[in-house]
Amino acid sequence: MAFFEQEIHDAPTTFLSKYVFSFDHKVIAKQFLWYGIAFLGIGGMMALMIRWTLAFPGQAFPVIGTLLFPNTNGVVPPDTYAMLFTLHGTIMIFYAITPILIGAFGNFCIPLMIGARDMVFPTLNMLSFWLAVLSALLLLVSLFTPLGGAAGGWTSYPTLSTLIGSAGVGQTLWCLALFVLGVSSTMGAVNYIATIITLRAPGMGYFDMPLTVWGLWLTAVLNAIFLPVLGAGLLLLTFDRVFGTTFFLAGAAATSGSGDPVLFQHVFWIFGHPEVYILILPAWGIVSDLLSFFSRKPAFGAKSTALSMTSITILSTLVYGHHMYSGQMSPLLTQSFMMLTMTISIPSAVFFANWLGTLWKGSLRFQTPMLFSLGVVFVFGLGGLTGLYLATVSTDLYLHDTYFVVGHFHYTMAASVLLGGFAGTYFWFPKMFGRMMNEALGKWHFWLSMLGLNGIFMGMMVIGHAGMHRRIYNPFVYEFLQNLIPLNMFITYSALLMGSAQLLFVYNFIHSMYKGPVASQNPWEVGTLEWTIPSPAPHYNFAEIPVVKCGPHEYGNPNLKGKDFQYQTEELVKA
Amino acid sequence: MNLLLNFYLKFFVTSSEAASNVGFWEAMKPPVDISTYGHLVDDLFMLTTKLILFFFFFVCLGIFGFSYLYSKKRHPQPLYTHGTSKKQIAIVALIGALVFVMVDMQITTISNRDYVNVFLNYPKESDDIVRVEALGQQWAWNFRYAGKDGVFNTEDDVVTLNDLRVPVNKKVIFQITAKDVIHSLYFPNARIKVDAMPGRISRLWYELTKTGVYDIACAEICGTFHYRMKSTLTVYTQAEYDTWMAEMEERTKHVTEVEKVENYWGWKWVASN
Amino acid sequence: MNEVMSKTIVTAKDGDKIISSVAMIVTLVSFGMLFLTLMMAFAMFRITAPVWPPAGMTRPDLFLPTLSTVMIFLSSFFYTKFEKNTVAGNVDRQNLTATLVLGLAFMLSQFLFWNHLKSQGIYVSSGVFASIIYAFTWIHAAHIVAGLGLLVWLYSALKSADKMTSVKVSSVGKFWHFLGIVWLIMFVTIFVL
Repeated sequence: MAFFEQEIHDAPTTFLSKYVFSFDHKVIAKQFLWYGIAFLGIGGMMALMIRWTLAFPGQAFPVIGTLLFPNTNGVVPPDTYAMLFTLHGTIMIFYAITPILIGAFGNFCIPLMIGARDMVFPTLNMLSFWLAVLSALLLLVSLFTPLGGAAGGWTSYPTLSTLIGSAGVGQTLWCLALFVLGVSSTMGAVNYIATIITLRAPGMGYFDMPLTVWGLWLTAVLNAIFLPVLGAGLLLLTFDRVFGTTFFLAGAAATSGSGDPVLFQHVFWIFGHPEVYILILPAWGIVSDLLSFFSRKPAFGAKSTALSMTSITILSTLVYGHHMYSGQMSPLLTQSFMMLTMTISIPSAVFFANWLGTLWKGSLRFQTPMLFSLGVVFVFGLGGLTGLYLATVSTDLYLHDTYFVVGHFHYTMAASVLLGGFAGTYFWFPKMFGRMMNEALGKWHFWLSMLGLNGIFMGMMVIGHAGMHRRIYNPFVYEFLQNLIPLNMFITYSALLMGSAQLLFVYNFIHSMYKGPVASQNPWEVGTLEWTIPSPAPHYNFAEIPVVKCGPHEYGNPNLKGKDFQYQTEELVKA
Repeated sequence: MNLLLNFYLKFFVTSSEAASNVGFWEAMKPPVDISTYGHLVDDLFMLTTKLILFFFFFVCLGIFGFSYLYSKKRHPQPLYTHGTSKKQIAIVALIGALVFVMVDMQITTISNRDYVNVFLNYPKESDDIVRVEALGQQWAWNFRYAGKDGVFNTEDDVVTLNDLRVPVNKKVIFQITAKDVIHSLYFPNARIKVDAMPGRISRLWYELTKTGVYDIACAEICGTFHYRMKSTLTVYTQAEYDTWMAEMEERTKHVTEVEKVENYWGWKWVASN
Repeated sequence: MNEVMSKTIVTAKDGDKIISSVAMIVTLVSFGMLFLTLMMAFAMFRITAPVWPPAGMTRPDLFLPTLSTVMIFLSSFFYTKFEKNTVAGNVDRQNLTATLVLGLAFMLSQFLFWNHLKSQGIYVSSGVFASIIYAFTWIHAAHIVAGLGLLVWLYSALKSADKMTSVKVSSVGKFWHFLGIVWLIMFVTIFVL
């Protein structure tokens, strides 16, 4: 099946070509991982400041508050607050989750799991990372412009994001940063798609690919199709801001010409809804695989899991209108989007059933990656089901733009993806760095994170149902929100717990990189292709391109002798 | 350590204060429902909650039950199955269908019924209704009543800032737009919100059932002082409302300066039916 | 000279060809979505507007856009010939040069068109129709500039002819034809209709 065998070049020798401008997919994956973790820290810090402000309005942010906001004695000022939640959203989605799940795991897993020596376009791959760095620089520079960074929410609806609502150069830089990042991600997507189509090892059909690769592939497809849509919207918005076009300007404050701000909402959500699935699909893939690996049992209905992920991918492009119910689309559109949104729950239910089917009568090993995968099943169950409230129009008109929405999308996009990402990190760490992460610390990390994030996001859904709307600096100027002070404090304490639990992870990660026990070739006893080569994966991965003879999830076959799993390179033993 | 101590002191002190006012469960409740259709939203919310708890119960049963039953210690030899037998596929398909029929179809039908019969069922212009024009701006709500002549955008219009007063048990219909950026007129007590978009007129109607003073908020981020875009909703009895309106109409005669352009943000009422 | 070169150009391995065409198709889908979104925006404005062009706007003169259309059509035509010759193993600089010159002529006619609009008092900020004309032609022109860069790069690819040359030529060709098609659609929908 492989169309061609990649040549093996000499290993790079200089520091620059080895660690900085490397063509090696494994090095680029690690670069993306560091990049993502750094931004995860920044975005997380921002989240803590937001939470602190909501629970203790008017009180100085502890420790670093006076350093960051000297003019107000450490209290987050309202304009900075708007900037914080805007950049928290932007950074977490585009600069933390995307690089970790898609950049790092995509780059690391795809060639290793399909038996390739590298991506098809190593140069494009490197370019993709350095464009992402450029984009990050643009975003960080925007913070130091006179009027500060973008403050129109991560959705940046015009006319707030045009010159009418935000005058500074920060918003323009934000648009450019996201545009550049879009180009970078599209490059990555082209690379992933082409790699998976052409470089699969001989014998590997599409359904012999691990589900991780399926998830990453579908993500890449969505990225390639829908990031340009956002790009077009951002270009037009930039033109509105810089050159004086009037695509999105309207109303009394628009002095020149008249466009339509709703157009941006359509464009944004045509991209934005698939984006949700762009973020979650890799996590679904990883979890589907890990559940099978650690249950020592073939993935239940692997084919139907792959197919339902595919159908969700397709459906995700047709439902974006449910983000715009409160904007009063035509009733017919509203009803159609409500119905279409509902159909997504069929494939979701199918792979949930498959996940549970994988656990059923397995022989479960509760190592850290497994715990995180089970965590994903739990939080995504909650996140997915609470989406139903927001899909039905009448409840959405009350819940839209309240903390209920915030809780819901954090459950699906933040909690699930984060836990999935951690599962992947703990799982592939030995293959990346050749050492094992500490199990005990990993378990503490899991339970504390689980406790923290459920406290946060469940709390958010409760206060959202009680009517608290989003993006407000001080909720307690409202009479009807007075009761929510203790709950808001509870959420903030949960957030602090969640935040400090991540310190365990950082310590574990860095410590294990240098001091962890040396990993064997296959510490988890898993049969996919990346475990047939030494840890850490050598230069150009496979000295000889492997020939695939069976699927990725062959565990617990009673006729196997000596071990309970099969490598994909082994002939399938009949049960 | 001091910091930690401070945390806990604050937590216990403030929470016990707040707890003395309202109970734990009481605090989580949505604000008091004052509209004729608020219960539709609350009921659908409760129904959906029950349905998803039913399904989530099974998910939890799967996660925790299987984790208990089939841990490596208790169940060393896993069952070798790919989940591809006809029976297994049928069960999975059945679960998918069950979720769709039991949850999705039900709540979609109810929501669609409410949406068409109630939320979209605007009162007729010929009925005895109160008509209000609302204009969002950074960071206030302007409300405009037609005044004595019953025609909008004339000199005798009654205009208020951040102060909406409506009679109880009477249908109120709003036409809403925004001057600068997108806002969202949000009545938490009536369980409804609608976006105010520059260049478009959105509509909303409700009928309130309880007199009193409530909050109105802006639900769409509209800039730095988004959180301060707060207005008061006063629900009067018909008699109180008439008195207030007469007073305002009288005042308007003296207050409205004909030359001031910004008084004329209104528009001719867009007849809908 | 030509004969020597023609012998060194060997047809690419099937693998390279398939990889390139898969990647190029995905890339063009991405670019296509960018322009599709722009066309969607145009359609939305066009359909919801009570009169078109919106009040106070006149349609721009069709002469220069038509000229651009002819230029880009001809350049695509010459490129097809160039591609056919290259795949057959001949180095064909004339047709490549013709493509490049016509591409430059297209850019020139665009510049003239923008100047013409300005002289007529149609500025970027004169309403949504002007915004559409300027912004869309700018975005398209930016891609044309990138395309011209690729055409220039092809000269160097021809110089060091190897198995990849015909793959490079056909990939650049897909992009160039794509830009021609996008222009044609924009010309018909925005200027003519």
